[in-house]
Amino acid sequence: MALTTYVDAIRQGISEEMERDDNVFVLGEDVGIYGGAFKVTHGLLEKFGETRVIDTPISESAIIGAAIGAAMMGLRPIAEMQFADFISCAFDQITNFAAKCRYRWGAGIPIVVRAPSGGGIHGGPFHSQNPEMHFVHTPGLKVVCPSTAYDAKGLLKAAIRDADPVIYFEHKYLYRRIKEELPTGDFVVPIGKAALRRKGSDISVITYGAMVYVALDAAKELEKEGIDIEVLDLRSLLPFDREAVLETVKRTNKVILLHEDTRIGGFAGELAAVISEEAFDYLDGPIRRITAPDTPVPFSPPMEEYFLPQVSDVLRVARELHAY
Amino acid sequence: MNAKTVDPHTLGTGQRPALPPKETQLKILYFMKVVRELENRIERKLYRQGKIVGGVYVGRGQEAIAVGSCIDLRADDVVCPSHRDMGAFLIRGMSLRTIIAQYMGKKTGATKGKDSNMHMGSLEHNLVAFISMLGDSIPVAAGIGLSFKMRGQDRVVVCSFGDGATSRGDWHEGLNMASVMKCPVVFVCNNNQYAYSTPLERQMAVENVADRAPAYGMPGEIVDGNDVLAVWDASQRAITYARGGHGPSLIECKTFRMTGHSAHDDAGYVPQELFDYWETRDPIRRLERTLIQQNALTDAGIAEMQKGIHQEIDEAIAIAEKDPYPDPEDCLRDVYFEE
Amino acid sequence: MAETKVIMPQMGESIFEGTLTKWLKKPGDKIERDEALFEISTDKVDSEIPSPASGVLQEILVKEGQTVQINTVVAIIGDGSGKASAASPAAKTETKPTPAATVAAPARTDAAPVSDEERMPTSPLVRRLAKEHNIDLAVLAGKGTGINGRITKDDILSYIENSGRSGSGTAKKSPLPTPAPMTFSGETERAPMTAMRKSIAEHMMASRRTSAHVTTFFEIDCSRIMQAREKLKAEFETSGVHLTITPFFVQAVVRALRKFPIVNASIDGDSIVYKRGINIGIAVSLDGGLIVPVVKNAAEKNLQGLAHAINDLGERARTKKLTPDDVKDGTFTITNPGVYGALTGTPIINQPQVAIMGMGGIKKRAVVIDDAIAIRPIIVLSLSFDHRLIDGALADQFMADIQKQLETWQG
Repeated sequence: MALTTYVDAIRQGISEEMERDDNVFVLGEDVGIYGGAFKVTHGLLEKFGETRVIDTPISESAIIGAAIGAAMMGLRPIAEMQFADFISCAFDQITNFAAKCRYRWGAGIPIVVRAPSGGGIHGGPFHSQNPEMHFVHTPGLKVVCPSTAYDAKGLLKAAIRDADPVIYFEHKYLYRRIKEELPTGDFVVPIGKAALRRKGSDISVITYGAMVYVALDAAKELEKEGIDIEVLDLRSLLPFDREAVLETVKRTNKVILLHEDTRIGGFAGELAAVISEEAFDYLDGPIRRITAPDTPVPFSPPMEEYFLPQVSDVLRVARELHAY
Repeated sequence: MNAKTVDPHTLGTGQRPALPPKETQLKILYFMKVVRELENRIERKLYRQGKIVGGVYVGRGQEAIAVGSCIDLRADDVVCPSHRDMGAFLIRGMSLRTIIAQYMGKKTGATKGKDSNMHMGSLEHNLVAFISMLGDSIPVAAGIGLSFKMRGQDRVVVCSFGDGATSRGDWHEGLNMASVMKCPVVFVCNNNQYAYSTPLERQMAVENVADRAPAYGMPGEIVDGNDVLAVWDASQRAITYARGGHGPSLIECKTFRMTGHSAHDDAGYVPQELFDYWETRDPIRRLERTLIQQNALTDAGIAEMQKGIHQEIDEAIAIAEKDPYPDPEDCLRDVYFEE
Repeated sequence: MAETKVIMPQMGESIFEGTLTKWLKKPGDKIERDEALFEISTDKVDSEIPSPASGVLQEILVKEGQTVQINTVVAIIGDGSGKASAASPAAKTETKPTPAATVAAPARTDAAPVSDEERMPTSPLVRRLAKEHNIDLAVLAGKGTGINGRITKDDILSYIENSGRSGSGTAKKSPLPTPAPMTFSGETERAPMTAMRKSIAEHMMASRRTSAHVTTFFEIDCSRIMQAREKLKAEFETSGVHLTITPFFVQAVVRALRKFPIVNASIDGDSIVYKRGINIGIAVSLDGGLIVPVVKNAAEKNLQGLAHAINDLGERARTKKLTPDDVKDGTFTITNPGVYGALTGTPIINQPQVAIMGMGGIKKRAVVIDDAIAIRPIIVLSLSFDHRLIDGALADQFMADIQKQLETWQG
């Protein structure tokens, strides 16, 4: 076992899958010689050669389109969007081509689209987005958002092995900040299963991505005040773990939905509806949301800090909800 | 005539084109005639009888393009057709009944009712279903070609599209990528000179779609899209080029759209003179004349072929009409892989 | 041969109606399948429509110039034998209503909203629990501990837990009444209460609500016991016991309680519970609160024994080494409001006891003795007592006895 960063875990996942299956290959901008803008694919060109690690022109739509065509012929492409923000250039190919082939004419499209998402790195509006909901809203796709190095590796393997298109949002803030001991050998994290990060009795915080750590930090603080927080990490948004969500709400009877994405149309809205529909009689307080405000991601550090949900937000809302 | 016309005799490579053997030419004629008759039935009869709903898009007058480019492909080559390439579907082996049932939205249609008209595909027949966002298929074709390269296979992709689709970003990204990566793709443009109501001069600033080929580093050629044997010849050369690992090329077939954009469009914006002019250049009658001149066919033979085609289509329609609609709840199936 | 209905086709996805412009056949004419039958005009196109079947045009249902919705039956084709089908009144041309024309169904109403007086703010969870346990939420009306008096999960769960117990006196834990929510128009900062503070708050309120508190005050001349202390200090020190002034008071209280046992008792419903043992609780101030360790069986201890016990408990209280046994079963409590210089205090009774004595600060004062001014060390003792059980006269007698003991101390 060795201490592995989140970014290294992703690289390991790609490398191991490319070893396991000759059909797996990587394409994207600057992924080969440069090793990727975040060095995720560092060393893969040397290891697997330029047939399987392809530097493409700046053509997000064609990158995805080519991945679709290759997948149709039985290959397993991992297409990288340099920043999740650029995935919008390929929106049509993803949502109208890849997502609908199986439904329309029985052709499975097993592509993985890797997208570095999230803020907190002073990236501004085009290098910090969390665009997952555009794809959660598209039937035929799968959407995953790992928060730990273990899950980053395990979910990537699951995505590569999945018969359907998977959009894999890796949170760039976590790349080098998260270090974990990872087991050797092959392991896969199933898509659609949440993970309970902290057991608690007073309030459930349901979240994903980098916000998992905000929730855990807040939980440590709240423990001192006698408020016991449970933290559920969704890991997958489409499909999401409905059972785990309902189970935690039924246990604590109070819930906070936390995500870095903006408010309107964010995943918290969907969860709030599901909880209200299916666990109404278990609620001892209103369902609370903590999200970014409905604006583009601002650049200047004090503004970005205001924009991103912080530990203090979780403390404040948890205290209010606890007293309700 | 105040509309732009193109005289194909002044274009082309200047070389005398090669010809396919007679059997192939007869096969070519047969397929063009089936396409013509099938599309007539779909557009002028079934649709107007309310037996087909939704949109109907036919390729009347452009039959030579799909037939000429696809007739001599291998079974393991892949075709990415567009909405006026009915010939591609028939040549690759899709049945008349499946196609008619598809238009009728029946359970036995190519997409089991999930999608309409020409939005058909079949991996089994190496036919890729296009989507309404025309131009999206170009990068997909590049990716298919890439997979052949990666596996060291000498298969090729024929990717067909219209003049309008060449304005889309995906078209340019796809051509560029196919060329950079040297993918074995034959890009076939059906330039029928109208995209819905938009004539060519409002669609592009260059005179020919093929003028763009050098911009993307690939060979380009212009052919008479109403001369099916010329289309065949250019296609064969491009297919051989791709199969030999030299990369993609672009064939622009000059033709004319002899209908409205769709069955509900009467093309009142097209000057009648253009219809009249291009009517005289009908590709089917042209091949018939050629074959008769070479004693490969007689009028009686043509009539017999026509009769046989009618019968085939009548039978297919009769079966498809009786086919059931899908169960309404089937709309929930196959969003994802199901065991 | 069955009849075939001829319909107005949909010529284009957004088209929903068409005008029949011309009939090319008339009723009675033979018609072949696919033969042109009529002409239509729509927003997009004019079209010739072929017949869907062969036969005889039996009946025309839509006239030339008429505009009808798509899928409307415009004609019937029969086999020529039959008459017009009986069921073809004008109603047949009735068209399907367009979505826009449909009046939206009135929204289903929820259960009638509760009027404000009846409104009991609570939550779905609480309502479910109430239903499952057959509780009428009215029993918790006004007793919610949530924001604005909401009845919370804990409220109803406590109620459920306690409603099973015997409904007598001190064992019953009645839910606390809620004070009005605090309002303040300036800036505030919230901090949650510690468990100890919450516990003290509850206990104090409960005591106030249980006992009929009255306080009486006595001034004691401490000169005698202070002299005694000076004399005995060194001797006690050799036994390792530090002698303060407190044991003198505890001793006096113990002796007074022997004389007035009712002050050592408790109330249980309608009964007076006299206790054999005398266990004196001594209140100790700790940071953030107080604790009351108990000198058990104080009557069996002499002065030195009392001093030793008091010191030991105080030490263990401050070093947090008290056991649960050390703080239970007190029968009388002594507290020390004078430790920070207060003249005296009005302590709150330590339930389920019926009296508590407060010791003020010892101060030298000018007093009148035999019509002359003298300087004496004076302490003000206060006794808060439960007037349910102890009348003022008895309380004063009790205190007078203590006064006498201390002012005439001999051992």
